[in-house]
Amino acid sequence: MAQAILDSETDLSARAGRDPVEHMRRGLGDWLFLAPALIFFVGYQVWPIVRVVWLSFTNFQFLSSKPAQWVGFANYAQGLQDPLMWASLGRAALFTAMFLPGTIILPLLLAILVDRVANQRLATLYRVILLIPAVIPSTLVFVLWKWMYNYQSGPINHLLVNTFGLFTLQNAPQWLGGTALTLPAIAIMEVWWGLGYHTIFFIAGLAAIPKELPDAARIDGAGEWQVFWHVTRPQLAPIMMILIVLRFGSAMAVIDEYLIFGGFNRASPTYTWTMFMYDQAFHTGLWRQGYAAAIGMIGATAMMFVMAGLIWIFRPKG
Amino acid sequence: MSERSEHEHLFREAMRRELAQGRIDRREFLSRSLVAGLGAAGVGAVAKSGVQPAFAADSRPLTPTFYQWIQDLHPAIPEVNKRFPGINYQIAPTEGFGIERFVAEAKNKESTWDVYVGQTPFVEMSAFIKAGVIEPWDNYIPKEVIDDIIPSIRAECTVDGKLYSWPFLLDVIGSAWHSGITSKAGVPDTAPATWDDFLAGAKTIVDKKAAPWGATFDSHGWRSLVPVTHSMSTKVYTPDGLFEFTSEPAIEALKLMKEIMAYANPDILLEGATDAGVNGTPDEVAFAAQRVGLYFKYFNAPLRMAASWDDPKLLHLGPLPKFKNGEGSTVFWTTGCALFKYGQNKEKAAEYIKALTYDPQIWKDSIVGTPGVHPGQLPPYKSIYAAWDAKKPDWMPPFVALVRSQLDRAKAIDNNLFGLQQFVIGKPIWETYLKGQEPDPKVAMTKVQEAVQAEIKKG
Amino acid sequence: MTLEADRADIHSLRDEAASSAGSVALRHVVINLFNLIILLPLAWVLLMSVKTLPEAMRGDFWPKRFDFSHYGFVFRHIETLPINLFNSIYVTAATVLLTTFCAVLAGYALVHIKPIGAGLVVTALLVSLYFPVRVVSIISIYQIQHWLGLINHTSGLILPYITLQLAISILIMRSMFQLVPHEMFESAKIDGAGHWRALWEVGLPMVRNGLVVIFIVNFVAAWGEYLFCLTTIDDEARRTMPVVLAAAQAGQGQWAWPNLAAVYVIVVTPGVIAFTFAQRLFFKGLIEGALKG
Repeated sequence: MAQAILDSETDLSARAGRDPVEHMRRGLGDWLFLAPALIFFVGYQVWPIVRVVWLSFTNFQFLSSKPAQWVGFANYAQGLQDPLMWASLGRAALFTAMFLPGTIILPLLLAILVDRVANQRLATLYRVILLIPAVIPSTLVFVLWKWMYNYQSGPINHLLVNTFGLFTLQNAPQWLGGTALTLPAIAIMEVWWGLGYHTIFFIAGLAAIPKELPDAARIDGAGEWQVFWHVTRPQLAPIMMILIVLRFGSAMAVIDEYLIFGGFNRASPTYTWTMFMYDQAFHTGLWRQGYAAAIGMIGATAMMFVMAGLIWIFRPKG
Repeated sequence: MSERSEHEHLFREAMRRELAQGRIDRREFLSRSLVAGLGAAGVGAVAKSGVQPAFAADSRPLTPTFYQWIQDLHPAIPEVNKRFPGINYQIAPTEGFGIERFVAEAKNKESTWDVYVGQTPFVEMSAFIKAGVIEPWDNYIPKEVIDDIIPSIRAECTVDGKLYSWPFLLDVIGSAWHSGITSKAGVPDTAPATWDDFLAGAKTIVDKKAAPWGATFDSHGWRSLVPVTHSMSTKVYTPDGLFEFTSEPAIEALKLMKEIMAYANPDILLEGATDAGVNGTPDEVAFAAQRVGLYFKYFNAPLRMAASWDDPKLLHLGPLPKFKNGEGSTVFWTTGCALFKYGQNKEKAAEYIKALTYDPQIWKDSIVGTPGVHPGQLPPYKSIYAAWDAKKPDWMPPFVALVRSQLDRAKAIDNNLFGLQQFVIGKPIWETYLKGQEPDPKVAMTKVQEAVQAEIKKG
Repeated sequence: MTLEADRADIHSLRDEAASSAGSVALRHVVINLFNLIILLPLAWVLLMSVKTLPEAMRGDFWPKRFDFSHYGFVFRHIETLPINLFNSIYVTAATVLLTTFCAVLAGYALVHIKPIGAGLVVTALLVSLYFPVRVVSIISIYQIQHWLGLINHTSGLILPYITLQLAISILIMRSMFQLVPHEMFESAKIDGAGHWRALWEVGLPMVRNGLVVIFIVNFVAAWGEYLFCLTTIDDEARRTMPVVLAAAQAGQGQWAWPNLAAVYVIVVTPGVIAFTFAQRLFFKGLIEGALKG
């Protein structure tokens, strides 16, 4: 019953075989439903992407008064040979690998647990508490965690040093600022922030499962774990796929957090390809937006390859 | 001359005087000229021919835009604004020193604002000039004001002989210390005269356990490497205006920084918490938490951090220490005002900035502080210091006079498109020496030089 | 059967399987552990907002002395805060509503109308998820807004905000609509309903879960958006809250922690309260959706 997000559009071609004139008349009317979405999409996303693609083939420098000149693949060649390109892509991938599991497993667990709570009032209370972080605007979430992780005055180190005595003031962990702990620290913050948000995704998915299925399995004597693995999990597959797609993309393309937590220090683990792109486009020299655009395209293409692979691996079978 | 043309002549002269005295602005001048020249009949023709819109050019009120923190630190600014009724005062859309919006507008040959208060020459000015966003003040700034600017500051704000930044708030790097901690350790309660004194003081503080750490600094290049280098010599810039990382003073400065780090907080090299890591730095947190004794940075930092102390009056300030045989200079930069090329009201803007920068209340509040706010930023004008020298106000703390004398020797970072970037690029590389990964400072600095050059070559 | 009875039925069936009281208790313990993880940092912020400045830098959890002056500080320094809060609410609400409208229509069309080229549209939507459009397109978007004359108009923000999560919203609605059998719409059309009525009467109730999800997705994106507002809105009074807050932490005038904590409390509390009331509507839909499913 549940279908994958990318089911094959085979019946589309079947329909096209019918009466062409009638189909065209109907077709124009059908597009009406898509029109509002498409207007926004084309105007604010397609056009900027087209412009970025075009820019990547020029040597455009925003601060310079020289008009952009076509340079073909020169920017791409330079980007692909730049060790910083690969290092920065690797850092983004590392962060994504740290972040994704927490984004899937923990909310799934919570969703199952909250879903089972008998008392409605309690269930509502739990859902509200879990969603509170989602109501906090991003800048404030970052501020909060910058305090939490602060080496000298933050509560985490205070607990570790003063309360538990595990570390001293000299060797306490340096959570942020460009150390090896920075990416995990940001990942933890992101998981905290999205906990309720992702749990709701799964609750919605769980609510869509018709109750007969797990009940039938239970009547047949299946244990809880088997019910989960054989009934619940496949039903949740489309929601999970959406979440993975959504989160993979956003985790790889994180930039606000890195701008705020890491800065433009090129040796920092937070200097990912998005920072590299932003640095070149708005920060360095004459603002080489042509080169930055190529970096952006390289990164986006790499992401798409990986995502296509992931979708293929995790495609729902049957 | 006929009677009528003499009439016109006198009229025009009167108007010109009024314009020169600033009693009417350009638009008034033009419109009155036109009316005077054509007489009443002509005005009707003018109105019909649609020439009127030409006068609309200067028709919006004066629209300055300020970096948010400037308003936060200088509460007397609204008082100055009151003297310019109708002013359209705005907060600039900049964050982390980003200037995209200004550049985008300049490309369309327009500007929402007339003047921007918040420009730091070595940071954004070169980019502004290259992108054609700003123009020099020379045609609008009164001559006596330009001559009143302290020479080293005037040099900082000048490019190709023209003044592109009207300096306003001066930040000088000097030393600061927590006198409670220093007295507990038995360290003298004066600004360390040389770096040897500084190091000795830091070591004593740590040994006597008066505080966990003896000294700290902000690890960004322009706040640590540069001032320490200048304290030995200011002749460390290439003809292009780039910092000479491989020069002897710079290498000595790097070695000193490593020596200080032995007594400093362990997270001293970490990026800060805001503005892409540039502000909210670990040294500030350590100083605010009263865990470190000695400090050097622009005065705004220790003043702001001391507000979190149990007794803020324990903060003392002084000039930067020097190397025994060094020049004894330091680094400064100004936060100044930029005139938008496609803005309007340029004469009015000059009037406004003059009022702003000479306002005595702003300077008193800056030096003494107001409840909750203590910027410690100083004025750029010789005359103001001279007046204070002549008749010292009772609120004047000692550090201002000390810093003033150092100002004659101080130097700003040279202007270059990569003025700030060279330090951002170099930081992780020279830090390999500071962290002990690279034993030879000269090797580290050579790599810095190479990396900066490589970046510049990309254009 | 009443709703209450239905709910009780579902849950008693589910609870039968998790029979022992022990496992029920364990369930609540685990959930509350996560609740604690969520609430502790926020409690820390609340306490921070009433600490004195020196104590804030010392790291103890409970303040020895209370200092309530920071709230006044905030309102004195950001005079426009209430207006900015209102702007945020207005822009976010409009964005959520309009995006939902576009996404529902598009999701329905892509599944149950399937015009030619629908496959292309889906692929384009998916691909667009991977471009960090926001970053490099900030200048394109500035130009579009400028061309539309929307610079410095708060309402103008709604247009780019809609596109922030439009692609993912459409894809979510699409997969929700895929769960609705096509026959249901066919039978509605046999009864004489056009696309609009079929969607409104038959489709929407079945995809309520998806609506909940995209409401939240778009709310979060619009509520916290910062870069576009910073770049296209000039007047403080027309800006949204995140921009104004970020300025309070920037540059050399950076606020002391307790003041920032006070801002936090002022800004987050109304959101939480409003959200508590609003979520009752949403979750009602979830339960009813489960009944029909």
